[in-house]
Amino acid sequence: MDIKAEVRQYVAKKFLADGQDFALEDTTPLVTGGIIDSIGMVGLIAFVEGRFGVDFMPREVDVHNFDTVERIERLVLNKLGNVPSVSRQDRGGGNV
Amino acid sequence: MERSPSAPAIIEGERVTSFGELFRLATSLASALTECGVSKGDRIGLALPKTTEAVVSVFAALFAGAVYVPIDPRWPRERVTVALEDCAARIVIEDSDGVPRIRDSRGATTISWTEALARASARPLKEPNSFDPAFILFTSGSTGRPKGVVISQRAVGAFVSWSAGQFRLGSTDRIACPAPLGFDLSTFDLFNMALRGATCVLVPESGIWMPRFLTRFLLDERITCWYSVPSLLTLMLQEGGFAGRRYPDLRLVLFAGEVFPGPSLARLQAALPYATCANLYGPTETNVVTWYEAPSGFDPSSPPPIGKPCPYADLKVDTATGELLVGGDSLMCGYWGRSEETDRAVEVLEGKRYYRTGDRVSTDANGNYVFQGRLDRQVKRRGYRIELGEIEAAFARHNAILEAAAVTHSDPEYGAVITAFVRLRPGEAMSLIEAKAHCAKLLPAYMLPDRVVPLSVMPKGSRGKIDYRVLALRAAGLGSDGHQG
Repeated sequence: MDIKAEVRQYVAKKFLADGQDFALEDTTPLVTGGIIDSIGMVGLIAFVEGRFGVDFMPREVDVHNFDTVERIERLVLNKLGNVPSVSRQDRGGGNV
Repeated sequence: MERSPSAPAIIEGERVTSFGELFRLATSLASALTECGVSKGDRIGLALPKTTEAVVSVFAALFAGAVYVPIDPRWPRERVTVALEDCAARIVIEDSDGVPRIRDSRGATTISWTEALARASARPLKEPNSFDPAFILFTSGSTGRPKGVVISQRAVGAFVSWSAGQFRLGSTDRIACPAPLGFDLSTFDLFNMALRGATCVLVPESGIWMPRFLTRFLLDERITCWYSVPSLLTLMLQEGGFAGRRYPDLRLVLFAGEVFPGPSLARLQAALPYATCANLYGPTETNVVTWYEAPSGFDPSSPPPIGKPCPYADLKVDTATGELLVGGDSLMCGYWGRSEETDRAVEVLEGKRYYRTGDRVSTDANGNYVFQGRLDRQVKRRGYRIELGEIEAAFARHNAILEAAAVTHSDPEYGAVITAFVRLRPGEAMSLIEAKAHCAKLLPAYMLPDRVVPLSVMPKGSRGKIDYRVLALRAAGLGSDGHQG
């Protein structure tokens, strides 16, 4: 499971015209860069929770750690008990 | 506030602050602010999320005779600077990694909250005058600069004491209002806590992105009264599994800030058969001035009316345009430092001041006012008001853009959708990401356009002015992805 690719694809398709905006990088600011608004955040969090089988509490989610594709991946891996760049074991689960 | 010192005043997760503790902290901080040089009428910026510290700071500012100015820490830096400069704030209380700090607005001194409390002296605090300003709320301005709406203690008191009596709020109530401090909805929970001894249960800031969490929060925190914008309730109904649960404690749901679609309100009522659901209406300049309690079996074919006047409000309708004019005790003092704009917005009729709301209204068979739309280009989205001119002004500051026009249309699911059409200088290109990032540097998140569409020719009327009607039709015909549908 490539978390970054799936989140990138979701964001591009949902918030960037036809999903073909190749300027979206893993470090592009999503919230502070104005790409995603609060209703968009509701959808993005629900997508990440459902797709990767995690359940966030409000204190775990903020503008900072959901602001880039890279940070979202780190958050998901932490939640799954994996540490980025050390182990990228695919736990499956949570497919919708 | 001294009524029952051990009763809970603020609940924030596991943290409970009693009335006694709140009073002690707020008076200490007030005297610390006085020690820092704050005197009567000085503005104090509160760049804090809605936490226990923020609530303490609100009361501390008022106890010190100062005026609090909520600043959303997530606003772009430039907007924060403009707001603080505009109201010439003397002190800013801000949050740095969860630790509140107090700094002088010229950056001369910064002290931590703990240090400030240690500076507290026993100097007696001044009695406030009810006509003194209590707070300044910054709201969208059509010229590209936000306006500071000055509200007096008397004005906020008019709304709060009416709501306390009308909805029988008391010490057994647990009120949740997710609105941040900069939104006038948050005067309801803070001041009903102080006035009636109700408990203010703070909603975690990120909770508003998690509708399933919010419905659990209502249950787990035994909330008796909820007050939010309709779009948050709609989200809880649509995505939060709201209808599948029972809420034995929830007796009152209030909503304000935008039109609540009839079908969503009917679903809310069906899920809460024993609760009172009421629509409150009023712009920031007047706070709530009309209200409507939805009867059981509410007809969902149209949105609820805005209802009848609150007893402290003096309403008139301009017969020529249908515009609602609001006078009475809750009316603002004016826009901070902008007497000309205040004079344009507030009209004196027979010796009394009335705010021109820009809202068109009619009256239904039961004597309720019904909102019929705007007279100008102001938009309400998720309870926030947005001047489309401010979005255009933000685009106009980009070097690659020759001109920009923002329009809105209504989507049955998402409410107001804002589309910005931009015409670029010849030879310039701009990606959607770049366009949005440019706006995000200048505008708060709630004001950003949903879609940015480049145009090679801007439609113009015979006098050379942008034809917004043509653009609005074009925007409504675009798919959700911004392509012609």
